[in-house]
Amino acid sequence: MNAVEVTDLTVRAGGRDLVSAVSLHVEAGTWCTVIGPNGAGKTTLVEAVAGLRRVSAGEISLGGRAISELNERARAKIVSLVPQHPEVPAGMAVREYVSLGRTAHHGLLRGASPRDWLVVDDVMGRLSLEEFAGRDVVTLSGGERQRMVLGRALAQTTPVMVLDEPITGLDLRHQIELLELLKKEVADAGLTVLATLHDLTLAGQFADRLVLLDHGEVVLDGRAGDVIRSPELSVAYQMALRVVEVDGTDVVVPTRARTSSQ
Amino acid sequence: MNPPGGRRVAVVVVVTIVALALAVVVGLVVGPTPIGLTRIVGDLFSHIGIGHSTLTSTDSTIVWQLRAPRMVLGLLAGAMLAVAGGTYQGVFRNPLADPYLLGVAAGAGLGATIAIVDVGSGVSTPSWTPLLAFVGAMVAVGVTWAIGGRGMRATPSTLILAGVAVASLLTSAQTYLQQSSSKSITLVYIWLLGSLSSADWHSVLLVLPYVAVCTAVCVAAGRALDVMSVGEDESRSLGLPVRRVRLLVVAASSLGTAAIVSAVGLIGFVGIIVPHVVRLLVGTSYRRILPISVLVGAAFLVLADTVARTVVAPSELPLGVVTALVGAPVFVIVLSVRRPVAR
Repeated sequence: MNAVEVTDLTVRAGGRDLVSAVSLHVEAGTWCTVIGPNGAGKTTLVEAVAGLRRVSAGEISLGGRAISELNERARAKIVSLVPQHPEVPAGMAVREYVSLGRTAHHGLLRGASPRDWLVVDDVMGRLSLEEFAGRDVVTLSGGERQRMVLGRALAQTTPVMVLDEPITGLDLRHQIELLELLKKEVADAGLTVLATLHDLTLAGQFADRLVLLDHGEVVLDGRAGDVIRSPELSVAYQMALRVVEVDGTDVVVPTRARTSSQ
Repeated sequence: MNPPGGRRVAVVVVVTIVALALAVVVGLVVGPTPIGLTRIVGDLFSHIGIGHSTLTSTDSTIVWQLRAPRMVLGLLAGAMLAVAGGTYQGVFRNPLADPYLLGVAAGAGLGATIAIVDVGSGVSTPSWTPLLAFVGAMVAVGVTWAIGGRGMRATPSTLILAGVAVASLLTSAQTYLQQSSSKSITLVYIWLLGSLSSADWHSVLLVLPYVAVCTAVCVAAGRALDVMSVGEDESRSLGLPVRRVRLLVVAASSLGTAAIVSAVGLIGFVGIIVPHVVRLLVGTSYRRILPISVLVGAAFLVLADTVARTVVAPSELPLGVVTALVGAPVFVIVLSVRRPVAR
């Protein structure tokens, strides 16, 4: 079954199509990553799936239910979001921040129930966040902070998670660490992931499927290994890309144009 | 620094409740006619059949018809302005927000000025001044909301800017009107600076329902405002109907403020400073800031009013002057003792 089904989606803003007639589907319990150059419409696409963009045409359904028919709270129980630039509310404790993920479950008039806190503490344990529980969120390092944001999304206990460039600004180790944590959630809990990533090598390593977006349209949609090796990739990025195999892993490397006089 | 724990918050709450009780006592006891607390308490008990009162009928009138309604109106005004200010700061995510942000004060000022100038006697403020002030305040907020975002699509910054525009337009109209009638100019000034001197049980009963409902809505919105501290998109993704919540809490805080302003005039400073002091003491969660601001605002305004009516008795200082005069040093002290946790 498809957890995410996007049909002929167009999102228009400021008189131009940011995403035009895009169709894609993500099977439940799999990981799909959207790649493409800057301005290709990746963020718009995943934000629309998260319910944050006004849909101009087409349809998005999550777990078989049209997103347009869901209210905010119902939608937040199906899809969670890890944004590209999360707001960090100074003065809030880390455990409380993670518990924001429970908002849709307990509502606005009642606070988090013991069950909600159980979920929060379980997530904190899985992400090794316990030691930061009482810390002010602004005191965390970039890697810890991003893990905390992932924690909030996991605490939402949604079948689908949308992540927009979740590893921006992290060093190599923390990039891999975060993606491994996510991979484990996909494998263990059957989470469905729709993400955007700039790093093509990591995109190829951590996704079941890759969707290449360019100028708001889907150029390629297929198994990660196939998309990484396809010649359209170089066209979309307007530069020569080569795939080198290192210890069984496909590594995407840009090749500098030799005709350049520099 | 870590967010303050529960123990510290408990201490703040206890101290605040003590201050509030003190304010109530001071509001009843302090004044040109000395009437001791024991005699007031004795009078209270006599009404339920225990012992008998030692108050003369004049004393009784002073305590129960002058000081008590004035004290209660002070409690209501302080509570409402403080909680409305805190709510505005949360919903607009702007530390400079106060209850007058969307034009409530300017609208009320214009309404009151129209009422006062219209009579033109220059002797007393006409009885329909509160009504016109209230109407002016609500019209101003309505216009701001209509310009700032066409209802549900309002964003914080367009609303704030619309509020600035509406407020300056109405203020200039108010100033023009005020200057055009020299006879009533003093009355207008007195009204603008705010005062509890006209308080009676009638005015208390008139504003009580507004304050009760609006304060309850604001305090209940604390949890939603905490979620909104991560911004509009993220709080929507967490399941918060941001626009509906914003409409509801802005309506509640504006309505309550309009009711208070129409009864007591423009009392500044309480709405912006009290929530900040509370934030410095108990942290950034609106679930703590808002209810504690209700208590602190109430106590603060009654104490400030006691100063206003006693320092230069039998005449009075404008309450708005005293709130700033007393409040600013207090704020500076709290600010220098506590490093701010707010951004």
